[in-house]
Amino acid sequence: MSDLYVKEKKLGEGTFAIVYLGKRKETDKQAKSVGYVAIKEIKLDLMKQSDSGDNMGIDISAIREIKYLQELKTHDNIIKLHDVYSDIKTNSINLILEYLPMDLDKLIKKKTIIFNSMDIKLIVLQILRGVNHLHRLSIIHRDLKPANLLIGENGLIKIADFGLARTYDDGGINSHSNLTNNVVTRWYKSPELLLGSKNYDFKIDVWSLGLIIIELLIRVPYLPGKDDIDQLNLIFKVLGTPAEKDWPQVKALPHYNTNLYMYPKPNRQEWRKRFIAISDNFLDLLMSMLEMCPGERWNIVTCLESEYIKEFPRPSDPSELVRLMHE
Amino acid sequence: MSSTKTSDKAAKTADNILFTNQRVTDDDIYRNSTQFSAWSFTKESLNEIRVELANKTRLRYQQKIESYFMEEEAETLNDEEKEAIKLEFSLGISAEEQLQIVTLYTQKVQVFCTKLKLPSEVVATSMLFFKKFYITNSVIDLHPKNLIFTCIFLACKSENHFISAETFAAKVKQDKQKILENEFRLLESLKFSLMNHHLFKPLHGFYLDIQSVLQGKIDKNYLGTVYEKSKKMLINSYLSDAFYYYSPPHITLTALIMEDEQLILKYLELKFLGFDPETSSDSLTESQKISKNMYDKLMKTVSSCKTDIKTSFLPDRDTAWKIDARIHYFIDPSAFVKRFRAQKETASDITEEPDQKKQKVE
Repeated sequence: MSDLYVKEKKLGEGTFAIVYLGKRKETDKQAKSVGYVAIKEIKLDLMKQSDSGDNMGIDISAIREIKYLQELKTHDNIIKLHDVYSDIKTNSINLILEYLPMDLDKLIKKKTIIFNSMDIKLIVLQILRGVNHLHRLSIIHRDLKPANLLIGENGLIKIADFGLARTYDDGGINSHSNLTNNVVTRWYKSPELLLGSKNYDFKIDVWSLGLIIIELLIRVPYLPGKDDIDQLNLIFKVLGTPAEKDWPQVKALPHYNTNLYMYPKPNRQEWRKRFIAISDNFLDLLMSMLEMCPGERWNIVTCLESEYIKEFPRPSDPSELVRLMHE
Repeated sequence: MSSTKTSDKAAKTADNILFTNQRVTDDDIYRNSTQFSAWSFTKESLNEIRVELANKTRLRYQQKIESYFMEEEAETLNDEEKEAIKLEFSLGISAEEQLQIVTLYTQKVQVFCTKLKLPSEVVATSMLFFKKFYITNSVIDLHPKNLIFTCIFLACKSENHFISAETFAAKVKQDKQKILENEFRLLESLKFSLMNHHLFKPLHGFYLDIQSVLQGKIDKNYLGTVYEKSKKMLINSYLSDAFYYYSPPHITLTALIMEDEQLILKYLELKFLGFDPETSSDSLTESQKISKNMYDKLMKTVSSCKTDIKTSFLPDRDTAWKIDARIHYFIDPSAFVKRFRAQKETASDITEEPDQKKQKVE
């Protein structure tokens, strides 16, 4: 198996993994168009020789990535795992992934690009679809951010990095959740996570998406907190401090502080002032994705079925995104 | 519950559905899972794989014994002893014996998990990982007792039940290095597919649906008892081969029927038929006939699943230790020589002494 691919150059390096640009070897003479692949080499030696001597075995984020990507091979908006193989020579597990050189973070930062409303809708629709597929398979991504939304040469957006993903367990009459709240990159972290909730659900992903969409519109992160406390404060300042009446049981959350400054919740006019150029339906979508109370926040299906998605204009063709990328 | 369609066609249909606006059912999701594509078998194909493994392993060890005869240690062997070794090694471990011993150790996995108070998903995943490993690996190459904790540890990680290797090793009183040693090999043998669609979710689904279909006709407390008992049966069903042959809802429904046939049949009747299943087909409308057809199909699957859940591969004590002893001989032929010589001696003493060094199957 390891003979099928060649590693050409190093693209990046993490604690346990090195990502290479690679190619599938020409085994079949007829296969002329050989595309590039990304090879994520997960080193087992590195895990064994960690300084602290605390050998955990195969890294849990590698296990998650393998576990979930294996089940997600059929969707256009999720990065494709072509193959997994073990390499005895380098004592490593190798994930053969789609090679996707562009991501939404880079695209947003490229200020020369101007998105029209059709381009925006194309991007929004694709990320909603990808996340919808995860959620219907009971998977919470837990680290959605622009840098994890990759873009292919065909203009398709692909959700990547499943190192923090997990299955949502809603089964069993005796089941009780105990999830870690130490997930999601800060700026995209939902209020329930910041408040220390341990039985959050799919809605944390919806929150992240809401902020990603706003970032797409204003081209800078909307809520760039300096630390977790600042992040929560910033959220409340911009979107209002939740009270029991908007969010039952919010006071019971571990990090809820009764001395919080009660910022008012922005009304529709206020939202409208902030986002002048978008349609009413689009505004509804954003407001509903950023509902403070997870119970009130829309789920991914409601987002996909929203009026904004149905109304004109239609999303632009993915080839348009390719054109913008190369501008 | 349309999972009796032929697998090939079903997978294709499901594939296309994922790209359209059509509703994706739980069944579509299951048909697209690695549990279905990589870990579901027909009885014939699974048996074939197991027999082939047993044959290949036997041939490999027969060659190994030839090279053992070349070793210095083997010089002391007389012809009779050589013949005895050859005979022993020619037996190998049959596919059936391997299944027996693996089932026995899968049960040990279950016992350890229960002792560690692990959640049902982790218990079930550990058991499945263990069984799957030995579909493609021989018990001679890695003795099952050396895989128990590796399996549980990987299952914990895979099911997000986080526990550090240090803590885990201390809890089970094992060497950490030994636990981690085979983790990679296990992951590879699992074909890098770790997701399991367990039986507990469908159980909960049925629990809720039975309540809504039989509203006012059933005592909730009683249903709770049925639920708990069925759950126990379901965990035990992971010892069987049912998981390879049937979809999770089928296995779950079968367990529920085994727990309270009358209740569950009533539920299914109301859910799918709305008329007495004994009604002669002449007096049924066209749509009723279709429902009846589906119902009969379901009952057929349930009845064959019942047989598979009930089929136990657990060996009795005697068989277990005989197989276990043979595994040890394969790993260390000199152990066989020792026993053979000892037996010859005692045989001349006429006293029929049982094997002095009975390998205790812990």
